[in-house]
Amino acid sequence: MKNKLWLATGTIGLGFILGACAGESGGDSSSESGDATQISFMHWRGEDKAVLDDIIANFEEANPDIRVEQNIYPSDQYQATAQRMLQEGSTGDVFTSFPGAQFESIESAGFFEDLSGEQFVSNFDESLISVGQKDGTQYALPYQLVFNMPVYNKGMFDELGLEVPKSWTEFQEMADTLLENDITPIAFPGADIGPNQFMNSMMMNNAPDEEVFAKLQNGEESLTNEWWVKTLEDFKLLADKGYIQDDALGTNQDSAMAMVANEEAAMLATGSYHMNSLLDLNPDLELDLLAPITVEESEATYEGINTATFMLAVNSNSEKKDQAKAFIDYLSQPEVASKYANETGQHLTVNDVEYESEALQNTSYWIDERNTRFQPRFLITNAQIEDAVLSSIENVLGGEDPMAAAEAAQQIVEENRE
Amino acid sequence: MRISKSIYLFFLPGLVLYSLLFLYPTISALFYSFTDWDGLSTAFQFVGIDNYTRAFTGDSIFQKTIGNNLKFMLTVVVFQTLVALAFALIVIKNTKTNVFLRALYFFPTILSSVSVAFIWAFIYDPSMGILNQVLQLIGLDFLAQNWLGNANIAIFSLAITQIWFHAGQMLIIFVAGLQAIPEELYEVAKIEGASKWQAFRSVTWPLLAPSATIVVAYTTIQSFKAFDLVFAMTGGGPNNSTEIIATYIYDVAFKSYQFGYASSISVIFMVIIALITYLQFKALRSDRVSY
Repeated sequence: MKNKLWLATGTIGLGFILGACAGESGGDSSSESGDATQISFMHWRGEDKAVLDDIIANFEEANPDIRVEQNIYPSDQYQATAQRMLQEGSTGDVFTSFPGAQFESIESAGFFEDLSGEQFVSNFDESLISVGQKDGTQYALPYQLVFNMPVYNKGMFDELGLEVPKSWTEFQEMADTLLENDITPIAFPGADIGPNQFMNSMMMNNAPDEEVFAKLQNGEESLTNEWWVKTLEDFKLLADKGYIQDDALGTNQDSAMAMVANEEAAMLATGSYHMNSLLDLNPDLELDLLAPITVEESEATYEGINTATFMLAVNSNSEKKDQAKAFIDYLSQPEVASKYANETGQHLTVNDVEYESEALQNTSYWIDERNTRFQPRFLITNAQIEDAVLSSIENVLGGEDPMAAAEAAQQIVEENRE
Repeated sequence: MRISKSIYLFFLPGLVLYSLLFLYPTISALFYSFTDWDGLSTAFQFVGIDNYTRAFTGDSIFQKTIGNNLKFMLTVVVFQTLVALAFALIVIKNTKTNVFLRALYFFPTILSSVSVAFIWAFIYDPSMGILNQVLQLIGLDFLAQNWLGNANIAIFSLAITQIWFHAGQMLIIFVAGLQAIPEELYEVAKIEGASKWQAFRSVTWPLLAPSATIVVAYTTIQSFKAFDLVFAMTGGGPNNSTEIIATYIYDVAFKSYQFGYASSISVIFMVIIALITYLQFKALRSDRVSY
């Protein structure tokens, strides 16, 4: 008891000294309401609230003894505070987790209920859910499947007679043609998500070893080795040749999206999750996905990047685990998942989902027919090492020499190695 | 007059709240600064002064944040104080126009910091932002910058936003201080042939020192704690060039789950603020006079 008091006051103390903690919406929302049991569904997808409200209404109709309340936090805040809320147990009977550092930290804190034996696990594509496993136990079930690689204007490419490049040489030729037509090849939102998204496809073939970041963290690899220095050199080339817009580090994702929607730029260096927003801004766009192949065609291993994310899980501290599992079971039904996929414009990891929108249908081939790799960034489990990796990209785009940027980042890696 | 002992009961609620909500948590943070607590589990180990050693000798980002914080603080303290004082001298008289202008200058202070961050992020946008467009329109396009994307100037761009945000608040303190200076002293100075600058140096500034102490101390603390503005505008980037101690504590505690280490940085942070505030207080106190 005394120990817990110290723990609680320690948290408050840190908050006081920092004096800067953001407020949070939602709160204790897991309770018995009337005859029905109320569970809390904690996640970060505010943009999906309306669709999920519909799905929840249908779920409650089919399960009149369960009520579901959504507790939504912005993704930045979610990454920082979800663990604290799960610890207490009253929020997030069902919750979602990011893969990578957050999954690792929640797993090591013991907040995941083991879902291995649940029947609904078989509703998911087996090849896409391994990211929610640890030591053979299924702790979380990724729901969404996103492709973290540039979205490109297919209509523009067709008009200019451009083919999807299969090598780094072809990529540069394609970019030169776009520049000759006064089109910026890549809109890069360097002020926010650009570096952490684009690094994945830029490095996927420079370092085909999927263990490369695990090795970096345990000291077997270094950012000063060829795979990362070459990635930084490739970034430098994009900046030097004007393949990404001027002042890219000051451009946020809204501005970058506007560039692509207005057809000032041909590619958006983020991911498939922005296709719907781009079509909202300009419904005439014809979009597809394109990852830069930074090696010669014969050396290329991967064609793109995937991330199975929005991982559904049950809080081990919850007192309503059965109700929480019933809700996940419901979300994993193909007709429910299809509704969610089509209304949010997302590909899902659930089997037998029927994609209705043109954009989803046109890009579904990336799920089965293309060799994509799980997002490497999520395999960096130490947040400070991840920051060092991303900072080296910003450093190079700010004018630093790639090797010097790699050395500076490697120093931080060494300081933070566990 | 004999004071009843029961009067001490009136101190009790405040004392209890202060102890519970500040003193005890602060002591616990100090306690955790000697541990490797991850913020989640109930188990932790004592690591002695390892966290402090790491902060000063093995964490280049933390050392960079101190530098960033000093740059930010010095820019804000100097320019915010000067701007607030200059504007206060302009609007000191209680005319209708001046009352309106004071309200206008104070207005940014009532905005939420996140709104301010969004407004200024838009102003600073290199391609669509108003600032670069205005500079181009008036023929000063050579001054157009990547305000938040250039690691060499991003911290100063944030400082300008901070000054815009809080100068109005300091102006009010200066106006109150200026209005408290007796008019007769200026009359005496005038009779003795003092110029406006001499009157300012020998009358205004010394008698304004208590207000200036408050302004400088408060601005220093504010600029060290400018977490929300930095977090919303740059997130500490590019390349950690705008990472300040407060945002770094947040990253270490809530992204890396190293609460023990974050607690030690918090303690160092608290000592730095206390030390700088004390030195400022001493320096400005020596300027004080009374007539």
